[in-house]
Amino acid sequence: MTEARANGKPILNVQDVHLAFGGIKAVNGATFDVREGSITALIGPNGAGKTTLFNIITGFYKPQAGEITYNGESIFGKPPHAITKRGMVRTFQITKALGAMPVIDNMLLAAPRQPGENLATLLTRRRAVRQREKEIYEHAYELLRTFNLESKANDYAATLSGGQRKLLELARALMTEPRMVLLDEPMAGINPSLGRRLLEHMERLRSEEGVTFLFVEHDMEVVMNHSDEVIVMALGRVISRGTPQEVRSDQRVVDAYLGGSGETEVPEGPPTPPSADGGVQGG
Amino acid sequence: MSLPLAISFNFLTAWEFWIGVGVFAGIYGIFVLGLQLNVGYTGIVNFGQAGFMAIGAYSAIILVVEVGVPFLLALVLSVLITMLIGVLIGLPSLRLRADYFAIATIAFSEIIRDIAQNARGLTGGNQGTISLELDNNVFFTDPWFKVSDWISDNILDPIGLSGLEFENLPLLIVVWIALGLLALGMTMLIRSPWGRVLRAIREDEDAARALGKNVLSYKLQSLALSSALGAIAGWFLAFNLQSVSQDNFEPLYTFLGYAILVLGGMATFGGVLVGSIILWTVLEGFRFLDLPLSADKQAALRFMIVGVVLILLMAFRPQGVFGKREEMVLGD
Repeated sequence: MTEARANGKPILNVQDVHLAFGGIKAVNGATFDVREGSITALIGPNGAGKTTLFNIITGFYKPQAGEITYNGESIFGKPPHAITKRGMVRTFQITKALGAMPVIDNMLLAAPRQPGENLATLLTRRRAVRQREKEIYEHAYELLRTFNLESKANDYAATLSGGQRKLLELARALMTEPRMVLLDEPMAGINPSLGRRLLEHMERLRSEEGVTFLFVEHDMEVVMNHSDEVIVMALGRVISRGTPQEVRSDQRVVDAYLGGSGETEVPEGPPTPPSADGGVQGG
Repeated sequence: MSLPLAISFNFLTAWEFWIGVGVFAGIYGIFVLGLQLNVGYTGIVNFGQAGFMAIGAYSAIILVVEVGVPFLLALVLSVLITMLIGVLIGLPSLRLRADYFAIATIAFSEIIRDIAQNARGLTGGNQGTISLELDNNVFFTDPWFKVSDWISDNILDPIGLSGLEFENLPLLIVVWIALGLLALGMTMLIRSPWGRVLRAIREDEDAARALGKNVLSYKLQSLALSSALGAIAGWFLAFNLQSVSQDNFEPLYTFLGYAILVLGGMATFGGVLVGSIILWTVLEGFRFLDLPLSADKQAALRFMIVGVVLILLMAFRPQGVFGKREEMVLGD
């Protein structure tokens, strides 16, 4: 998948972003960009600032300095809902299924341009509200079908299994019609077959609809086999970036995982079969 | 000493008793529709509803009596004023965490009560608004009594419901029509895409934000609507009492509203109506029981009974009369 790297100009550009909580510099000058149509992994030892950076990019935290542009437009300091409306949506490390709402309502909620969400137009444009509701209902069912959640549509979201919730969160995020999706540890806590399905969905969406993915992940097998580019963070900075192969052989990355933060996790992929010497894996 | 066995339940067969209970149940039903919208559907804990009721009642009365605004216009303006104040209170305080917001709203409602007590020239202070009306010789409830008399003469008398004991029946009818329509309207709102966003905010604000919803704006709308409902309840309270003073708006009434909410169940507007009838039957019923107790002890006992009812409810039906158990259990 390395060839994808050459395509696409940056859709997201993060420049020298800083955020400190008291004396702790959670993000300390992070700079990187994400190419349009790529699946980019963001990795790094625990405490590297990955989730904080996610929260900054999506507007949940206000950074103290830096610049973030998305699609050529500054989104620095914009509130989360405004960023989602521009076409960049996120999921959470701990899934946020809206438990006491049916699965289908979770989906319908996320759809943009529903005039019924505004009190004034809800009362004055009732035909348009009903019309849009029908459209998004169909779209929601279509997505639920592709994610194999159709039979759960009318169940409360809290009754789904952990893996199904992850799928629902991705499906729900897609309802916002995003150009870019940020996933925070999508593989954590789900069984391998659901995880594989999630990855297939990501790759299909990327190739069919040109959706860009940026994801934080600790599962190195997933990172090495399913991403076009890898960005490595440590101590609030980006210390390396490149193709999975480049990053894996980068001494700074190995140091960051073994030294510094006292982490023992090594960014090792699955043992490379001798025949795949050329470096083209997965896909 | 009379024996406790001598308790008489005769009042239960009296029209006046049930009309009285019905009027209060209706007024506080409207009051609690607002709390239901905030607490049951948006997840914001508004402890200031009595304050909004006070603003509604006082502003309507002051507009009519002291400014000379026509009655109906004053009613409409009082709702708009209350909504505006709701938004102004919400703008800074809704940014706070839920528990701090609750504290801020109770403080707000006490500030309103303090103003009502001390701005005597404006509100009549502890003497109540009747003193303003006497000074100006303008009586806020006059137009209402015209309506009330018309209902008595043209609708109730012909079917034999005339006389002193049915004096308040027109108010009962009007309050419950209003309550019914408002409950219906709120139910429709909450089932709309707008209501879906509110419920999502109740479940998880951050998820709603991440899906492109302006959470603060929706919370403000929820608070503004609930303060409007508080203001409407305030009009009817003024119709019923004819003179209001600050002690009609003690935080106690907000808490009674919460008791109604819990009784009827969370996230159901129908439950509000039932909860309100249960609570006011118990509260008013105890007033008429002939117990061998001093008046103040009996008054205190009323609230102890409400407490026992709530405890029994928590033990045997925690979701309230109409609440959905699934939503309660799955919520967190």
